[in-house]
Amino acid sequence: MVEEQIQQLQSSALARIEEAKDLDALEQVRVDVLGRKGSLAQFSVGKLAPEERAKAGKALNAAKRALENAFETRRQAFAAEALDTRLKQEWLDLTRPAPGPRPGSLHPVTIVQNEIEDLFTSLGFAVLDGPEVETEYHNFDALNIPREHPARDMQDTFWLSNGHLLRTHTSPVQVRGMEKLGPPLRMIAPGRVFRNEEVDASHEHTFYQLEGMMVDRNVSVAHLIYFMKTLLSAIFHREAVVRLRPGYFPFVEPGFELDIRCLICDGVGCPVCKQSGWVELLPCGLVHPNVLRMSGIDPDEWGGFAFGLGLTRLAMMRYGIDDIRLFASGDLRFLRQF
Amino acid sequence: MNFSYNWIRELVPGLETEPEELMRLITMKTAECEGLEQIEADAIIEVDNKSLTHRPDLWGHLGMAREVAAITGKKLRDPVKLDLLPKGQAPIGIEIEDFALCPRYSALVFENVTVQPSPAWLQDRLEAIGLNAINNIVDITNYVMAELAQPMHAFDAEKLHGSTIFVRSARTGEQIAALNEESYNLGPSNLVIADAQGPIALAGVIGGLHSAIGPHTKRIVLESANFQAASVRKTSVALKLRTDASMRFEKSQDPTNTVQGLARALELLEQVSPGIRVVGGVADSRGELKTPPPIELSVEWLKAKLGRALEAHEVRSILESLEFGVEEHAPGRFLVWVPSWRATKDISIKDDLLEEVGRMVGYESITPRAPLIESVVPPEDASRKYSRRVRNMAVAQGFNEVYNYSFVTEEMARAFHIDVAEHVGVANPIASGQTLLRASLLPAILKNIVDNSRHLHSFRLFEIGREIHARGGALPEEVPHFAAAMYAREGDGRESLFELKRLAECLMDGCEARLAAARPFEHPERAAIISWRGEDVGRLFELHPLLGVEGRAAILDLDLTTMEKLDVRERRYQPWSRFPISAFDISVAAGLRELAVDIERRLAAAAGSDLVEIEFLREYTGAPLPPDRKSVTFRLTVGASDRTLSSEEVAAIRERVIAATGKPPD
Repeated sequence: MVEEQIQQLQSSALARIEEAKDLDALEQVRVDVLGRKGSLAQFSVGKLAPEERAKAGKALNAAKRALENAFETRRQAFAAEALDTRLKQEWLDLTRPAPGPRPGSLHPVTIVQNEIEDLFTSLGFAVLDGPEVETEYHNFDALNIPREHPARDMQDTFWLSNGHLLRTHTSPVQVRGMEKLGPPLRMIAPGRVFRNEEVDASHEHTFYQLEGMMVDRNVSVAHLIYFMKTLLSAIFHREAVVRLRPGYFPFVEPGFELDIRCLICDGVGCPVCKQSGWVELLPCGLVHPNVLRMSGIDPDEWGGFAFGLGLTRLAMMRYGIDDIRLFASGDLRFLRQF
Repeated sequence: MNFSYNWIRELVPGLETEPEELMRLITMKTAECEGLEQIEADAIIEVDNKSLTHRPDLWGHLGMAREVAAITGKKLRDPVKLDLLPKGQAPIGIEIEDFALCPRYSALVFENVTVQPSPAWLQDRLEAIGLNAINNIVDITNYVMAELAQPMHAFDAEKLHGSTIFVRSARTGEQIAALNEESYNLGPSNLVIADAQGPIALAGVIGGLHSAIGPHTKRIVLESANFQAASVRKTSVALKLRTDASMRFEKSQDPTNTVQGLARALELLEQVSPGIRVVGGVADSRGELKTPPPIELSVEWLKAKLGRALEAHEVRSILESLEFGVEEHAPGRFLVWVPSWRATKDISIKDDLLEEVGRMVGYESITPRAPLIESVVPPEDASRKYSRRVRNMAVAQGFNEVYNYSFVTEEMARAFHIDVAEHVGVANPIASGQTLLRASLLPAILKNIVDNSRHLHSFRLFEIGREIHARGGALPEEVPHFAAAMYAREGDGRESLFELKRLAECLMDGCEARLAAARPFEHPERAAIISWRGEDVGRLFELHPLLGVEGRAAILDLDLTTMEKLDVRERRYQPWSRFPISAFDISVAAGLRELAVDIERRLAAAAGSDLVEIEFLREYTGAPLPPDRKSVTFRLTVGASDRTLSSEEVAAIRERVIAATGKPPD
């Protein structure tokens, strides 16, 4: 009789668990049936005869376990469903762009300059700096270009109200380097230089050079060619073929123009090299003994080579930039490409 | 300088090298050829003037022919016949005031001159190399100049006063009307040729108009002189008058060449002006023409400098082919005499001879070789390294690097209220934007903002460049600065300012912004000084709307040198506390203009020594707060290094902090 009642309670509770629409309804069933004041707890076995009581207790426990199992199964189903719903709601369009800034960019000349600085420091060269406003002495006289020397025409100069000038080349840093470090020395000096010229697609009044110099005992033209070849092969990531021909610069003797075999046509001839197969790349030479002497170095004991690399030109070659004015344009449509 | 292939071939008989190949050889051994133009029956080789700066002799065909002969192993034919020059008394006197300025002045007088157009061969030849044919007399002076590099000038003798030619400095106030029909005011720095009445030519630059050769000229004085390079150059630069003559003289011409020019002209004038007669002998006045001593040269030294094997006989044959005098006084040791046309400036030391030998053996014959040198770590350039770090950080935070010119206009400087007197001025600008050197990066940054805002809705950019501050006559102070800017066409401008502040913090860990009185170009309520480790390093501000930027732009401007100086960091590992920490949030109601930093300091002080960290979480304005109030929320983390704080201790700290929120700022 009692078992029957328990049985009935169990099936009606199971039905309610089954019917529960959501977690709250299920919880209500649990409270109603399994709670401290729930119908199972209300079910009193105290009035039963002892032999009946044991049986009823057993049946009650079985009903309780069955209900708890059913309840837990149902609860888990609800939880799984709820999680599933939440996850579904959390659908995210990952094709959308991520917020926040992207890395910006270094100026193309900075990129090329950094690369060459690193190359030279790895070869034991110091990187030196000099002022952009120079004395006439350091820019010209100490480089064997006295006043009234026609070579001054090779570099149109910005003269300043204070009697000084904007350096026309990075070569004055050679002088400062020799004065500061003394021999032996290996140095480069990258920097901004100025020429008082009209600006067009291939001429700028402001551009970037990198001056290099090595002073040691027994420095020869063969060493100069070695360094230039090594440098250019590293810059262009391929074996550079170079040639020297005479060039006149008062601070070197002998002076050279260094040509590189055209990288576009490999020397066959194309518009870039004007069909010659060669592109003029950098002036260089053995340091003139007057220049050494003026910087307090004995030319009978020491010798050296020097060269000037056009960083702006190199950047133009590297990136295929055909208008030199872009470098100082501040135009982000250009600068963001690097 | 243009060279006629036919002309060179006349001077190098038997030359068979084709123009194209000759051009290549000249480029590789002598001077840079820029182009080759085929014209009727001739080819014109154009040589870069810059590569002739040190070679006075190459401003004439004979000099280039000498090179060609040496390169190709042919013999040179000298067109000058000195024995044509007449002997006897000169019909005119020459007085040179200063032989330093005019080492030599030679002249011939001719009579029975017929002025007429030159024969076709002469006109063709001059025009082929870019000189205008004028008349037979002038054309011969130009022909000799183009051949021998000796500039010449013909005066109409009947228009000269007196029979003496003076070479002297111009007197203050003197004038000359020149052949180009311009008039020039002269002074003592200008050397002139003068007659008894006054200047008749600007020495080495241009002839005078009044004594010019005309159709009726019957008698001429033919000048072939030598002038000091510096003096000619000074006059030519000062008067902005560059002529074929001045270009040659400023390269230091050879004084022995004057009479060669006269001899050659004499021969040619007889061909083009039939019946012309020379009057008397050569007028020739000169100072002492010094022959430089021979240069000592050793084969061993040449070998060491070139880095190439070399035989004594090679050296001798190269130098002799270029007409140097060579004496081998000991095996492999030479005494070398320099020919007069190379001795004025070009060649005076053994290093100059190194070039002669090097170019003729060919630099391509030198094998590149690594030097044997000590392997050293180069000295470090800390500033350069620091700049690189700053650049890389800015790039990582999304900024694009720009380079701006070192020039600003007065207008740009004034827009930023920088005193024009602080600037170094440019004395000879050729464009309008170049009158001053920048004393601040900001004017150009503003231009970058305005320019880019035309194409872009928002952007970030930066520059590292030098401010240049005038220091009287001394070299100016060059102060490297870092300037970064953020622009947004939309929005209230806050994000830009805080992004720039974040960038400053990325660069300077723990730097602070201190509100500052705005400068006129700054937003009056959005300007701060950035300080770090007790020093001011720069400013952060929004641009004043009146500067004309559509949208908003903020700028961070920092002094790189100060930043670098303060950027000392010894990194040492610090163990952290092993005991748990706890955190709680506190919101503080405050006046709108109460500074977050002040509230933070107050709370931190109240929290006491167990505060591990205080972090700003957010600020809120709006309902239900009254319009003049805001709420600022901080998260405080507390803990002790030697034990776990009890919940009562944490609660006590919290109470103290809450009590402090009510306190008005000190």
